[in-house]
Amino acid sequence: MVFLSMTEPILKHVCQVFYDSHFGTAIRESDNSFSIIESVHVLAITLLVGTISILDLRMLGLVLCEIPVTRIARAVFPFTWAGFGVMFVSGFLLFWAEAAKNYVNPAFRVKVILLLLVGLNPLLFHTSVYRRVTEWEHEHRSPWRARAAALASLTLWSGVIVAGRAIAYF
Amino acid sequence: MLSPQHWFTALAQSALGHYMQTSQWAFAITEMVHLLALAALGGSVLFIDLRLLGVVLKKESAAGISRDLGRILLVSLTVMIVSGIGLLSEEAMKCYFSPAFRWKMALLAASVVFYFTLHRRAVQLAATGAADLWQRTIAVISLTLWLGVGVAGRAIGLV
Repeated sequence: MVFLSMTEPILKHVCQVFYDSHFGTAIRESDNSFSIIESVHVLAITLLVGTISILDLRMLGLVLCEIPVTRIARAVFPFTWAGFGVMFVSGFLLFWAEAAKNYVNPAFRVKVILLLLVGLNPLLFHTSVYRRVTEWEHEHRSPWRARAAALASLTLWSGVIVAGRAIAYF
Repeated sequence: MLSPQHWFTALAQSALGHYMQTSQWAFAITEMVHLLALAALGGSVLFIDLRLLGVVLKKESAAGISRDLGRILLVSLTVMIVSGIGLLSEEAMKCYFSPAFRWKMALLAASVVFYFTLHRRAVQLAATGAADLWQRTIAVISLTLWLGVGVAGRAIGLV
């Protein structure tokens, strides 16, 4: 609690600095900038979540079962990362324009927490069951730990999309 | 046969329309479902067309990939259409007169017809290895059409 009470005002202050900055204000007050960045952010969901979910569904044994997991992963990752880049840059610009409002927005807070969790998931996955992927990459249904990671990924990314959409409603 | 405008009016005045217009969260939740299905639809379209372009999974059969990911495409497309009707019922008359909405419907119809005809043919004829010009053209047209649906859809709320 001491940690929270000390950091909250700092985060709040940082958000206010972003919000008040010349650049943030320019995006917020421009006729079209915010809408255009938001449209890119929404459509790039397909690039990020759409591609990683193909790997998740493969590990769950639902699609492309004949193709080894590593081959799907190699095909998917460049697009997932590209999508992540677009989402991060466009998302950061949107945050820049709205930071002070975002700070008090419960949906935004949930989204940030979900993003931290969704980042933790591949970290755990790649340092554990994926290290022995050559042993199971041909199996139609991946081992339970890989399936758990896939389910976590699908659930968390869905949560990120839902929370992200909800930001506009608070 | 009634005019399209009558259908839109009927949808706006239907029980579904009333529910979507008066409920506090129905529209927002339907939008979220629409977006979740967009992720799945976009991902499957992208990967089927990237295979057709010869960019990913070249050694695998294009027909096999298209059959598997085509299931995701059709399921998510169905979810998008059903949730889309829900969203439409909330603001049917606005959509009826919206150029963005008309573009979206035209591009959606074109995308779906293209998917089941020329696109399907190109996928079935695609050999493993490098893609030929015909396949690449089909893939680029497909990606452009689907992206157009998305851009026009986004524009409904903006213009």
